[in-house]
Amino acid sequence: MKTFDRRSLIRTTLQAAVVTAATGGLPVLDLLAMPAAAAELPPLAVRQGKEVDRLVRETIAALGGMGRFVKSGETVVVKPNIGWDRTVEQAANTHPQVVATLAELCLEAGAAKVKIFDRTCNDPRRCYTQSGVREAIERLDDRRVSLEHMDRRAYREMAIKGGKAFQNWEFYLPAIEADRYINVPIAKHHSISELTLAMKNTMGVIGGNRGRMHSEIAESLADINSVIHSDLTVIDATRILLANGPQGGRLEDVRTLDTLIASPDIVAADAYAATLFGLKPEQVPTIVAGARRGLGVMDLSRVRMV
Amino acid sequence: MSDRRWTYARRSSQVACLAIFLWLFLQTEYRGIDELPYPVSLLFRLDPLAALADFLAPGPFGWALLWPALLVLLLTALFGRFFCGWVCPLGTTLDGCGRLVGRGRRPFSPGWRRVKYSLLVLLIGAALFGVQLLGLFDPLAIFLRSLTLALYPAYNLALNGLFDFFYQQPVPLLSPLVNDAYPLFRDHLMAFYQPVFTLGLFTLLVFLGIVLLEKVEQRFWCKNLCPLGALLGLCSRYALVQRTPQTLCADCRQCDSLCRSGAVRDGRHRRSECLLCMDCVGFCPEERVRFGLRPGGNGPGVDLSRRGLLTAFASGVILAPAVRIGPVTAEQNPYLLRPPGAVAEAEFLQRCVRCAECMKVCIGRALHPAFLDAGPVGLWTPLLVPRIGYCEYNCTLCGQVCPTGAIERLDLPRKQKAVIGLAVFDKNRCLPFAKSTECLVCEEHCPTGEKAIVFEEREVLVDGELRRLKFPRVVDRLCIGCGICETVCPLEGASAIRVINEGESRRPRPLAAGDGYG
Repeated sequence: MKTFDRRSLIRTTLQAAVVTAATGGLPVLDLLAMPAAAAELPPLAVRQGKEVDRLVRETIAALGGMGRFVKSGETVVVKPNIGWDRTVEQAANTHPQVVATLAELCLEAGAAKVKIFDRTCNDPRRCYTQSGVREAIERLDDRRVSLEHMDRRAYREMAIKGGKAFQNWEFYLPAIEADRYINVPIAKHHSISELTLAMKNTMGVIGGNRGRMHSEIAESLADINSVIHSDLTVIDATRILLANGPQGGRLEDVRTLDTLIASPDIVAADAYAATLFGLKPEQVPTIVAGARRGLGVMDLSRVRMV
Repeated sequence: MSDRRWTYARRSSQVACLAIFLWLFLQTEYRGIDELPYPVSLLFRLDPLAALADFLAPGPFGWALLWPALLVLLLTALFGRFFCGWVCPLGTTLDGCGRLVGRGRRPFSPGWRRVKYSLLVLLIGAALFGVQLLGLFDPLAIFLRSLTLALYPAYNLALNGLFDFFYQQPVPLLSPLVNDAYPLFRDHLMAFYQPVFTLGLFTLLVFLGIVLLEKVEQRFWCKNLCPLGALLGLCSRYALVQRTPQTLCADCRQCDSLCRSGAVRDGRHRRSECLLCMDCVGFCPEERVRFGLRPGGNGPGVDLSRRGLLTAFASGVILAPAVRIGPVTAEQNPYLLRPPGAVAEAEFLQRCVRCAECMKVCIGRALHPAFLDAGPVGLWTPLLVPRIGYCEYNCTLCGQVCPTGAIERLDLPRKQKAVIGLAVFDKNRCLPFAKSTECLVCEEHCPTGEKAIVFEEREVLVDGELRRLKFPRVVDRLCIGCGICETVCPLEGASAIRVINEGESRRPRPLAAGDGYG
């Protein structure tokens, strides 16, 4: 990890502040959004199917297969949302089969190690079990795949270059150090950020007092996602939670969509997922902040549907 | 057999029982199954004092839970105080620690023997009149409480410190080894979270005090103070296991000075004081001592005078109303929260034996021992302290481990409806109200399917500028007081939402009078 002395930290921070102020002051000419616009259109795969295992395989195949994202011998983090002590039907956690099949696909692509973890909101032991993820991973019975509890010692405070809400935060080292990071949220209602999707799911690999982020949730999420880069985003919309999120608990708030969204572009994936809730991407501040900060494309006419 | 075989047998039993209780202690934790697979509170289901507390509390006796304790009483009536010598984990700990701290052999006044009987009678007297303090002096409760609140946390602190050191300082060869061992320890031999308890140090000091009494006299606690020893002593007066010779031999008298329980007094062996440690079989130089089954026999009784007995009982009877002179604490302290399923406060205090099983098992680290928070008689009873930890919505563990029904065993649907209290906002500190910034972390975490914390969006004028903000509000009808909102409130220091005991399910509703009208 790169270390900062005080002088360079102050310098970087000031530079970041100047850039931020400059870009914020020029709403028409959004400098940070330009590189993304200039790049080739990001692919986005959306598939439907009742059988989860096949659905995952089809969706990833549409993007060109897991081999596009994971190379032989790499360490991959698959980061589901298993933050709540809820069952599969209650739609608060990523579907366990989505997680398990993605882990299998990583192994098939040659991954040396697949690590799965989440900093949960309820007790982690209960969440891992109740979500069904523990059982699904145990069923894989492969020593290369591990569902791990967070190691309280492995958080490091790191600088967020160009951070708007925060200039530094604690991040979970195994997520930082992994060769690949696959972001696997479930699509849910959330009262402070409208929806909780892939960008919000990154909160599961940071330390600190996460509640503090709620005061400026959109910029905070853009901040942490500028540090944790998701190589692949897979949004589980096999069933979505429409109200009382993110923890849910009532089956009447759940709608089955049998849908999976995948893209190497986290903002595009989130933008598409927003439409499942009848929202336009620009109605979700997190997505807007992500696009403006150059994390991806929110204009769905500028993605390549595959 | 005039050898040490009996002593070895007794020691093996002590070690085995201690190991079993320690193993059960480690199992007193959520390990992926909602229903605990082992009878982790066996120690208290065996405990005649817990049975006594349950018997003296209102309501029917908890046969289903406490029949093993009656079995212990029956076996004691037949065989004497084998429990003290062969089973009791505190006794074993004292025997073990005696070697470390050094054993005193000061001839202590035999009058002290009576203290335990007086204490027992006093406690029974108080319990009959509604103040149950048996748990404070119950050796099994002392043992488990010290383990849960002090020793186990200290052990975890030490190990965590060690693992942290080798994680942070890469020592060649050693660090990789230690780091590899960490998952094994964390998952099986340590607590999932570092346990933190409010009365840890105080509990430790009490425990150390009892251990240090070994320096005064071997098994000082068991001989002189232990009310469970007294109860078992009373039961073993006509025990069938008897020692021969029943009196001191004129030519030796070693039993007088060497007996760990001081069972030989005034030249006679007393069944009520004998712990059946079997040492005398081994040390008798003439190989005369035998223990055998022999019905009848007219041994000396318990040396408690009628006057002493009456004084102790009367003290208990007076103590009961005396400690309740003040106002009812639950009504004075709005933050007095009890675990879900706890019975009404008065009965709760009568049933709880302060064993700390619920605090050990609590997955949310919510339960902590009370000091004076629950009134003068509430010492070591479990309090729910939501700023430290919350009651996990889908968990029923505390009701599963409570040996005396102080916390009812509720099934999950009933537990999720059990109202512990009510969350109340402090609008002077809550961010949207006080600082006009967004927050809603409490609403996010609220676990009831239909959330008990909802929000309203309003426009407010901030620095001359209209801002749209979400303001949280508690729905009284839905709030169960689990306290997760208070735990996760992101403010530093005190939470801006606190649970008070208003509306708790267990509170008896006054039928009339005392409401301030007429």
